[in-house]
Amino acid sequence: MKKKIALPKLSDEMKSAVLCAWLKQEGEEYKKGEPIYEIETEKVISQVEAEEDGIMVHQLVEEGDEVSVGAELAEVE
Amino acid sequence: MIYIETNSTDVFYNFAAEYYFAAIKPIDETVFLFWRTTPSLIIGKYQNTLEEIDNDYAIKHNITVARRMSGGGTMYIDMGGWQFTFIEKDKNGEIHFAEYLQPVIDALKELNIKAEFNGRNDLLIDGRKISGNSQYKLGDRTVHHGTLLFDNDIEQMVRATTVDEYKITSKSIKSVRERVTSIREHLEHDIDADEFKRLMVEHIMDGKSYKTYTISDEEKVILEKIADERFRPWEVVYGKNPKFDITNKKHFKGGTVEAKLNVNRGMITDCALYGDFFGLERVNELQEALVGCPYRKDDVIDVIKQHGLENMIHDVSAEELAELIVV
Repeated sequence: MKKKIALPKLSDEMKSAVLCAWLKQEGEEYKKGEPIYEIETEKVISQVEAEEDGIMVHQLVEEGDEVSVGAELAEVE
Repeated sequence: MIYIETNSTDVFYNFAAEYYFAAIKPIDETVFLFWRTTPSLIIGKYQNTLEEIDNDYAIKHNITVARRMSGGGTMYIDMGGWQFTFIEKDKNGEIHFAEYLQPVIDALKELNIKAEFNGRNDLLIDGRKISGNSQYKLGDRTVHHGTLLFDNDIEQMVRATTVDEYKITSKSIKSVRERVTSIREHLEHDIDADEFKRLMVEHIMDGKSYKTYTISDEEKVILEKIADERFRPWEVVYGKNPKFDITNKKHFKGGTVEAKLNVNRGMITDCALYGDFFGLERVNELQEALVGCPYRKDDVIDVIKQHGLENMIHDVSAEELAELIVV
């Protein structure tokens, strides 16, 4: 089943982040716990891990884009 | 908390030590390092060197250029300043700065220095910056590092981070320039950089007898290997610049030439040269030959020479042409 993944809030002050790198490309499979993208916010680099096994279907933002907390980043299944 | 002395002023070796204790040999207790480096320009993980530093100035003045694994902007630091690092188990991926900065603020207070936070996780004295801080998270560890501008060459700092205005468009993280000051200027009784380190480490480690960990000879070899693979290569320092477009113009005897390039992961992905005094065929040949070439002067000179295009513009050498292409 297809669903969207969204940018999590990592601190009380966090409003947005720059999606710096996709670590899983479209069509690529991943396991729960594997990092799928990297963000920078408040001078912190964090890798965000998959909450469950899945496939990266479609990336909705480009590397370097600034996105708000809760914004949809990708379609996965 | 456990203190680890790296006994090194090599920025790459110190970054390797941080990485080692975060990713390869994590220790249950919080690790604390206090170190300094020979003059270095340290750029954030997703910054573009071209937009942040004067690389020619850095080369001329023996300033090392390094890319760290954490975010934020560019810092200049030399033997007059210190860096501190905390490495500890991550707390559910959440971001915390205060718990790392409070011990530093408290230690400075012992020296009668009143430092405070600003909104960008810097420490300030009277509104001027003395410490920039950033973090990276790797697996289940957080690495927090910060600078302490004790007695740095601020003139060199300003000069090395003054960049010519090339026409660059990119989505890289941009530095925020702030006014800085040296901690030493604010001391009631002058102490040197070594004494400052001793006092800071003692305050942060809560006394004179604290737990330490000694890096073994075997581990030193591993740290050098990590530095060689993950921090020293050109491909890391310059090759990891986020994708950018650049336009540069140069005036030669016969007229002006303009170069427009797209660069991605350190490689030229597209190139166009404009000028009205060279043959179209040869320009096309050079444009095509440059695609896939690393964005590095020596490599561009090699490509020009390999294709016999040194004299495509009258009286312009391969080196001069390369300086137009790679700024």
